[in-house]
Parts: sequence; C-alpha cells; structure tokens
Amino acid sequence: MINAIEVNNLTKIYNPKSKNAVTALSDFSLTVEIGKIFGLLGPNGAGKTTLIKILLGIVFQNSGNAKILEEDISNYKVRTRIGYLPENHKFPNYLNGEDLLKYYAKLSGYNENDLSKRIDELLALVKMNKWRKTKVKKYSKGMLQRIGLAQALIHNPDLIFLDEPTDGVDPIGRKEIRDILISLKNEGKTIFVNSHLLSEVELISDRVAILNNGKLIKEGSVEEFTTQKEVYEVKLNKEFDSDLITNLLISYEIFEFKKESFKVKVKDETELDKITDLLRQHDLGIRNLNNIKTSLEDIFINLINKN
Amino acid sequence: MNNIWVATLLTIRETFSRKIFILFAGVSTLVLLLFGILFISVSAENFPVVGTDIQISGMDIGSEISKAIKLFIVNPLYGLGIFLAIFSVSSIIPQMLEKGNIDLLLSKPISRTQLILGKFFGGNIVVLANLTYLIFSLWLMIGIKFGDWDLTFLWSIVIITFVFAVLYAMIILIGIISNSSILAMMISYLILLILSPILANREFFYQLFESKIAEFFIDGLYYFIPKTAEISNIISEINVGMGIEDFQPILSSFAFLILNIALSIIIFSKKDY
Repeated sequence: MINAIEVNNLTKIYNPKSKNAVTALSDFSLTVEIGKIFGLLGPNGAGKTTLIKILLGIVFQNSGNAKILEEDISNYKVRTRIGYLPENHKFPNYLNGEDLLKYYAKLSGYNENDLSKRIDELLALVKMNKWRKTKVKKYSKGMLQRIGLAQALIHNPDLIFLDEPTDGVDPIGRKEIRDILISLKNEGKTIFVNSHLLSEVELISDRVAILNNGKLIKEGSVEEFTTQKEVYEVKLNKEFDSDLITNLLISYEIFEFKKESFKVKVKDETELDKITDLLRQHDLGIRNLNNIKTSLEDIFINLINKN
Repeated sequence: MNNIWVATLLTIRETFSRKIFILFAGVSTLVLLLFGILFISVSAENFPVVGTDIQISGMDIGSEISKAIKLFIVNPLYGLGIFLAIFSVSSIIPQMLEKGNIDLLLSKPISRTQLILGKFFGGNIVVLANLTYLIFSLWLMIGIKFGDWDLTFLWSIVIITFVFAVLYAMIILIGIISNSSILAMMISYLILLILSPILANREFFYQLFESKIAEFFIDGLYYFIPKTAEISNIISEINVGMGIEDFQPILSSFAFLILNIALSIIIFSKKDY
C-alpha cells in the first residue's frame, strides 16, 4: 500500500532555547493512505496547523522525518503534486479571481496549454464564474474560501491539504465543498483536512486522528470512532413493564427505558445472545436490535477531556 | 532558473500594482513634462546654465549647454531616483512575509532561494524600467533640443540602478530579519543621505578623533557601507567625459550587495513562518 503521507516521530518546539518554549508536536507519527480523505481534529493549539506547515516546508521540525508521496519533505519539487488552502489565507488583493488562479498556477509550476480551460472548469466547480473579473479584495469570506479551494486545485495536485476549508462558508456552500472533496477522492486524490467542524469531518472522512497538546490521542476510521460496540438499543414488539426487564436482566447494565425500547451495555456478542434468549423465553419478542452510534463530536470531547 | 523567472515576473506585476509605483512613474512624468516645457519655451541660445562657467562659442554651443544641463540634473536625478525607488520597493518583503501569504508561497514548488532572487530581480527590473523611462526620455529631449546624442548620459541608468540594487539587497535583508518596511527605508535613507556622504570625507574625522582605533573603526565602516555618495560623483565624472578613475566604491558596494543577498537567503531558508 502506497502512503500519501508518512510522518515518523516528528517533534516541533517553538523557541526551544527560551523560557517560552512551546511544544507544538511531540514524537508524532502518522500515515495517510493514498486516495483517502483524512481528517485531523484537535482543539486550538493542538498542533494541527504546525503539522501541515512542517509537511509543506513552511516550518522546520526539530527532530523526526516525514515523506509526502514517497518523497522527503525537504524536496520542494514534490510540491508540484500538492495543493494547499491555509487557514486565514491572504491573496494578492490587486488580482481578480481569474488572474489569481493564473498567478498560483504559475507558482505551482503548471505549464499546460489548457490553463484557460482549467480555470473555467475550476471557477464553475467552486461556483465563482460570476465573480471571475471581480477584484479579490471585494470578495466575502465565503467567496475567498471558494477561490482558495480553486487555487489549491489549479495544478491538478494528487494530495490536497485543507486547513479549515469551510470557515466562513454558509451551510449550502459547505455542502457544495463537501461534494467537491468527495468527487476529488473518487478521482483518486488524497485529501488531508484540518477542521473544527467535527460533523463535517465525520461526513466526509475515511479516517480520523485526534491530536491534543502535540500528541496523537487516537486514530481510526470514522466507523471505529463513532460505533460503540458495547451499547445496543433493544426494541420490543410490545409495551413492557420496566421492572420486569430490570429484574430479568439484573446482571446487565440497562438504561434509557422508553415505551417499547431500552438500552443495554454488554461485554461482547455472547452476552447479547444471552439477553435476547432471556427476553424470548419470557415472551418478549424483539422487533429491532441496533448498535448505538455516537457522534464524532461526543467522542472528541470525551477524549480531549480524558486527556 | 524557470522558478526564479516566475518569481521575478510575479514581483514585477505586484510592484506595478502599487500606488507608490504609480507615484514613482508620476513624478518621473512630471519631471519630463517640466523639462519638455522648458525646452519648448526657451531657445537653445538663451538657455540658462546655472552654476557653470561654460565658454559658449560657435558650433559647440548645443553640446556645451547640453553637457551643463546633464551635470545640473544628474545629481538631483540620482537622489530623486534612488529615494523614490527605495520608497516603492521597501514593502515588497514585509508584504511577502504576511501571514497567509507566505504560507501559500512556501507551499509552492519554488525554493526559498529562488523566491528571494525573484523578489530581488523583480524589484530591480521595475526600477530599471522606471529609470530608463525617465533618463532615456531626458536624453532624447536633450538630443532633439541641442543635437547632442552622446550616449554617456545613459550610463546614469545603469549606475543608479546599481546603487538601488545595493540598497535593495539590504532592504531585503532587513525585511527578512525585522519584517519592517519602515526600518528598511530608514536605514537605506540613513546610508544614502548621511553615512555615505560623511564617510566619503572621513579624513576630517581622523583629525577630529586623533586615535588609531577610531581611524580603524571609521575605515572599517567606510569600506563596509555602500558608497552611494562616491558613486554619485562617478556619474558626474562620466557625464563630463572623465570616465571612472577609481572602481573601489563600485566593487566594495557590489560586495555589500552579495553579502546582503547571501545573508538574506541563509536567514530566510532557516526561518519558520
């Protein structure tokens, strides 16, 4: 399996020799598979942006190493295959949308003859065609994010880093950006997203990592994060007496009783089988058995609090 | 090389978009207009030649007057040209280093060395273009008016651009270290208007301090700092047909340029943004 990103034991300390030394990353390791959407989550100051900046050569690590698309990050030429939308970007405000894309295409080493066609495609994709001749300084925050995304894609990169891509974008715009990212993934691109909007990351990411105080707390697929294997909701085919269930399942942790359902916490599937058998023996038919999912946001808050 | 060219072109474009550059071009145009009006309204024979003792005689009248005019305008032109040029480029580096902009630039497949060289060449090309517009137009006007087509006046373009390049290299270094366009401008003007003219007459200070250590220190400062005042004299000498007698001011200033650019690249290549 080819990895788009391989990070090994990265440590970054800002002002290491001063009293105000700040450890942004501490012995941090991570791999991101090619063709996936990877979401990096963490509270403010967790080290998310520092990680991206190290990978892009904007900041230098104190120790450790990293590879992007199988090239060492010190090789600036690998950036011909990378797109980046930073948080709080600042574009040359004397340019209009179309010229801005030409400007970054040149800087990105895009020398194809089809640049005008590429610009047309991207402006249509991010729905900025109407404002292509308007100066960037007149753009709203949402428009700047859209043109910023187009800028990150102008040279058709294989790996795209997005730092808070939907910041300042309205809900419809956010949905559009999510759709763009999913279609890019379907084209085989790898996308690395830093975001505070956990629900969005949950919607698009294949894998997620949580970073706090420069350390990786947890990494896994969204499914692994959000599925609580041990909690099930049991729906019965008729109303029941909660005392009966409580007595019946006295050795189990039962909670959230409703008219026809309750939740139960089990250690494994064998326990779950035992519970269903017990219920059936007492003429309590099971209509539905659901593994309870928790939102990424709840998991995130729990993990950060524990940490 | 291609990357340096791209960075150069983008710097030129960025500089052309600045209001300060428009002011630079506007002042140049105003100077040209003033001379144009003067040349149209006053005949060659009646032309006022201030501060010169030219013997106007026979066929040389046009050539002599034009030489006097060139001498008369070349030093103010030098001062004005450098002053405006410094003003128009001093914010190139601080603007490049602005958060949000530098992140994007450094994430592109262009090395930090190429970026600095592109900024350096771009700024110089813009100033060269403006000085060429001003000085070539003046040369053309003088030629039409007095029939003097001596090309030595055009050397002013090269020399003024060179002096600017030396100071601009320092502006880049100060910009990278301090991220301040005001500090870069202040130090440039300090060298241009105060330090270099004073150090050009350093013998006076030897007498004032009467100390070998002070003499050594003043000499060190003299050889280190760009010799803008002496290069100004070189321009005047060239324009009266004397040629360059001493290349030391040019060579030591060039060494200063190289040192500043090298330090800029080294510091910029190691900094976090």
